[in-house]
Amino acid sequence: MGSSNTSRSRDVRMRGLAASPGVAIGQVLRLDERGRHQFYYVGVSPNQVRTEVRRLQAGFAEARAQMNDIRVRLTRELGREHAYILDAHMLMLEDERLHNEVEQEIRVRRINAEWAVRAVTDRLVSIYKQVKDPYLRERASDIEDVATRLLTILSGQTKFDLSKLDRDVVLVTEDIWPSTVAELDFNRVLGFATDAGGMTSHTAIIARAVGIPAVVGLHEVTKHARSGNEIIIDGTAGEVILRPTRAVLRLYKEKREREARSLANRSTQAPVVAETLDGVRVTLRANVELPTEIESLALFGAEGIGLYRSEFIFLNRLPVLPSEDEQYRLYRRLAEATGAAGASIRVFDLGGDKLTLEGFEQEQNPALGLRAIRLSLKVEHIFRTQLRAILRANIEGNLRVVLPLISTINELRQARRIIDEVKSEMAEAHVDHNAKLSVGVMIEVPAAAMMADVLAREADFLSVGTNDLIQYMLAVDRTNENVAHLYQPLHPAILRTMAHLVRVAENAGIPLEVCGEMAADPIQAVALVGLGIKTLSLVPASIPLVKTAIRAVEEARVRQLMSEAMKLTSSNEVEDLLKREIPRQAPRFFLGV
Amino acid sequence: MLERRVTISNRLGLHARAAARLVRRAAQFTSSISLEREDTGQQADGKSILSVLLLAASRGTPIIIRAEGADEERAAGSLVELVEQKFGEEFSDGLF
Repeated sequence: MGSSNTSRSRDVRMRGLAASPGVAIGQVLRLDERGRHQFYYVGVSPNQVRTEVRRLQAGFAEARAQMNDIRVRLTRELGREHAYILDAHMLMLEDERLHNEVEQEIRVRRINAEWAVRAVTDRLVSIYKQVKDPYLRERASDIEDVATRLLTILSGQTKFDLSKLDRDVVLVTEDIWPSTVAELDFNRVLGFATDAGGMTSHTAIIARAVGIPAVVGLHEVTKHARSGNEIIIDGTAGEVILRPTRAVLRLYKEKREREARSLANRSTQAPVVAETLDGVRVTLRANVELPTEIESLALFGAEGIGLYRSEFIFLNRLPVLPSEDEQYRLYRRLAEATGAAGASIRVFDLGGDKLTLEGFEQEQNPALGLRAIRLSLKVEHIFRTQLRAILRANIEGNLRVVLPLISTINELRQARRIIDEVKSEMAEAHVDHNAKLSVGVMIEVPAAAMMADVLAREADFLSVGTNDLIQYMLAVDRTNENVAHLYQPLHPAILRTMAHLVRVAENAGIPLEVCGEMAADPIQAVALVGLGIKTLSLVPASIPLVKTAIRAVEEARVRQLMSEAMKLTSSNEVEDLLKREIPRQAPRFFLGV
Repeated sequence: MLERRVTISNRLGLHARAAARLVRRAAQFTSSISLEREDTGQQADGKSILSVLLLAASRGTPIIIRAEGADEERAAGSLVELVEQKFGEEFSDGLF
């Protein structure tokens, strides 16, 4: 623990957990994570939606006030010409379309204001970055600038842009969040030191994954370290030294050389895969929504994309539909980034209300209404445009399509017929494309789960969307506080359905994968492996965690455990059993020993 | 409704500052203003800077300006003039 409370004293030594080996020496960058928690995707209840919209409006007002102050000052100091660029920023903050789009994002997706701002502006920036003219492309920074200001205000703190570090740093923070890690420029981050955390904390896992020294569980390193302080991180011994003396520094520079040599030898070994102790290989793919997440795939060790939520490109821009070329560019990025592992594109999972298409009225119950594949089959030209873009981009890699909300075989047949028609039209018109395209069915409607054997005969693979399947199976809207406790992923009905799907896929000889939040929870992911599922798709930042959990268990034993779990009568009993037995089977992972 | 055709002729195209000027000018009129890139068919709301920026119209891009409302004639004329005068200046520093 800290030997001194003054921030000036030298050679302050602190002990923590050796989370990731190696020695790092550099300058402290203190990061305040409290406000950053808000950057998480947070689902909100219908009542909270109003609060989020009010927060958003207040945020816009404050941002305008700040911009005006800056403009007045700049005009005074530099003259009107230089202040003119701020006019563009000001106009963006006044832009009714931007207001409406973000507000719509909050209302339709029921999410926090921060995520809505980020999602909308991310999309704008990504469109802008695709512009051919390099000068115009640069102007994406204007949108980023405005977004940053809004997010800073909304989260009530000063935001630091971690992707644009101008020097090497050692991050010192209370705790670090996956969303933050995803932004980090790892060429600049030499090491981590955090107050919080055990061996299985995000920081520890990610630091190990990217090979950066880290010490966690230091309790009060943030109290002593100031940005700019010199710091030594000894991730092998679990020690941190603040403001070291010259002699100590020399000692550790030598140690750093030695460790770097031995670590270099280790990294030549084969990359770590998700394999159980008894040799069962599990494929971990990524769920991707924002284009910016594509860059994080390699970082987190994703084996391709298991779920690309393609409707992202649609939201916030309506009623303007994305062109085939715009979609093509995006899908090509997916294809190029995932190579042979490939990417599964879930075709637009949208409701008619979101498209504000003429003739489509507000629905009483949109979750059961005209959406997803139903809409694609009804408004065929949108579906066909998307298919053309996918087939063109498929030249660059290995794309698959997944059809959402299938409830009858007829929908699959109709979709397949359209896909075949699009292919032959493209062939006739000599449009370059790759017609080798797997077509999967999303199993999320109970009827589709029951009829999976029939669907499996005509589908190339099955993909289980657990979030929606649980919602429809248990008839629970989990954003409704009154019934949220009934949203039970470990309900025996869900486990039985999963086991049924595993058998169906095995009999049909087609792949089965599970995407959804279940796959991102270590206990539930292990439970899925015990049910016989071999491919999981999850948020990229959770992949290292789940991979470590899978590597800590024996498949034969969790399979045995799950067959016991299936005999239980309620979700509580299943949960008790799994939370007791899985950590017992893998103490190294779940108990940190 | 009035429709006028122009070509973006300033060196930097419809970038942030030029777009800001265009949107400010459009806001002076009660008519609704829309822009269309003649080459791609992409449309924009002339009173929304984000919408205008997304046109990403560089030098040489043909644009159709449409104005509809009580002062559509003055609005269309004024906007065409702005574009033809290269948004009031040719920027020398190339920064913004």
